[in-house]
Amino acid sequence: MDPKIEVRELNVWYGNHHVLKDLSIKIPERRVLAIIGPSGCGKSTLLMTLNRMIELVEGARVEGRCLLDGVDIYNPGIPLTELRRRVGMVFQKPNPLPKSIYENVAYGPKVHGVKDRRKLDEIVENCLKVVGLWDEVKDRLNKSAFELSVGQQQRLCIARALAVKPEVLLMDEPCSALDPMNTRIIEKLICSLGRELTVVVVTHNIQQAARVSDFTAFIYLGRLVEYGPTDRLFESPVNRLTRDYISGEFG
Amino acid sequence: MRRLDEKLIPVLLSTPVAVLILCLLWIVVSIGGEGIQALNWSLLTSSVLEGGIFESMVGTLYMLGGAVALATPLGVATAVYLVEYAAESRLNHLIIQAVNNLAGVPSIIFGLFGYAFFCRFLGLGVSLLSGWLTLVCMILPIIVSGSVEAISMVPTSFREAALALGAPKWRVVKDVVLPAAAPGLATSVILGVGRVAGETAAILFTSSVYLMRGLPSTVLEPVMTLTYHLFVLLVATPGGMTGKPFAMALLLLGLVVSLNVLAYIIRVYYRRRW
Repeated sequence: MDPKIEVRELNVWYGNHHVLKDLSIKIPERRVLAIIGPSGCGKSTLLMTLNRMIELVEGARVEGRCLLDGVDIYNPGIPLTELRRRVGMVFQKPNPLPKSIYENVAYGPKVHGVKDRRKLDEIVENCLKVVGLWDEVKDRLNKSAFELSVGQQQRLCIARALAVKPEVLLMDEPCSALDPMNTRIIEKLICSLGRELTVVVVTHNIQQAARVSDFTAFIYLGRLVEYGPTDRLFESPVNRLTRDYISGEFG
Repeated sequence: MRRLDEKLIPVLLSTPVAVLILCLLWIVVSIGGEGIQALNWSLLTSSVLEGGIFESMVGTLYMLGGAVALATPLGVATAVYLVEYAAESRLNHLIIQAVNNLAGVPSIIFGLFGYAFFCRFLGLGVSLLSGWLTLVCMILPIIVSGSVEAISMVPTSFREAALALGAPKWRVVKDVVLPAAAPGLATSVILGVGRVAGETAAILFTSSVYLMRGLPSTVLEPVMTLTYHLFVLLVATPGGMTGKPFAMALLLLGLVVSLNVLAYIIRVYYRRRW
């Protein structure tokens, strides 16, 4: 099967700091890929190159190729707005827009041209149901999104990302700010989303990677150290660094 | 010794505050007391030719309304450009600094510039339009610096959230940044109006006349304003001033104070909803 995303010899610098070094990886379609590694190893940077959010970072420079369905997303002819519709993102800290719960989910579709109110209602309801938030918020859709708990806000952000029907969903430590209950809900959600779309989740939490992912990539000091099916990588890591990291000896 | 310090310092520090409050009270009482007696409906509604202040009162609103309508979009657009589009650079900082400095330039200099540039060079004459443009020059720095601050306060995470959904930059500005910054923008506009509401020097040469029949019917006609009207009344009647000037002063004071109170209310009411 062709990979959904193929990264070839990717190099990223922040100013003079060389963050990602000759990184190549093939990300399979409709699977969950977990990216693990110690802080500062470049996990989040890799994620940000996949939807070009890295271009917002001042002084960032990207070299190499990043193919989505075989087309380089850094090709100057690629419309950024359409790329980011296809490759959605959930951030580490829940970041609802300063709008109502309804408007948060409806914003993406509106930006991409959905005007029909009934259609928008439908999208909002469906997306909120997918993240298990519908029953909790259906009576207060017009209330500010900031009235929700942090865990609810993060689920709202996932619903918002899903509302534009992305093909890939990038998640940057989506549970790191959350309580155990919301973490459990979101982990389950990641597993089920992985059957519909391609999910790439960066996580600090090794157990979480083991629970949610089909494949795991271990990155250390900007290089891809080991990559394979999650079961195999956790049971019999080939590289000594990987073994030390997943057994908790550093990180 | 320490005991003395602890008692003395608060006293020393509170004295200027007390003086300030007393001065303010004295202004309000002395102007208000005399003004309120002279203030009545017929004064407000009758023409200056019949001893009223109708033309100068409405003229002031014309001046302020036009100046704000012109300055707000210009000022907010400038601030959006500086914060959202211009790259972080020394030049950018220099521009913002220059704008801040402009806010402190004495108004008579704006008046002189307005007369030389708008009235004479552009040939607009002494007119409502010349006055508007001069006041715009005065208000702009206030609106720009206030708006730059309001827009910079909008968390980056809001922009990221919208951009990550595939929203183009201009939509992020329109849908997310400006609404989030709106209270701050409104405050800066109101403070700008407050700065020029009592302005005399800037419109002295550019748009005001002492006496005219009725209101201007085009923007190229001059206009009467409360401040200039008041100025002329004061100059023309040295000593022995009673009644009308105080009523006009009271109106101006009321206008400026209510603008500032409005700005304050907006600031408090919308304090950081996120």
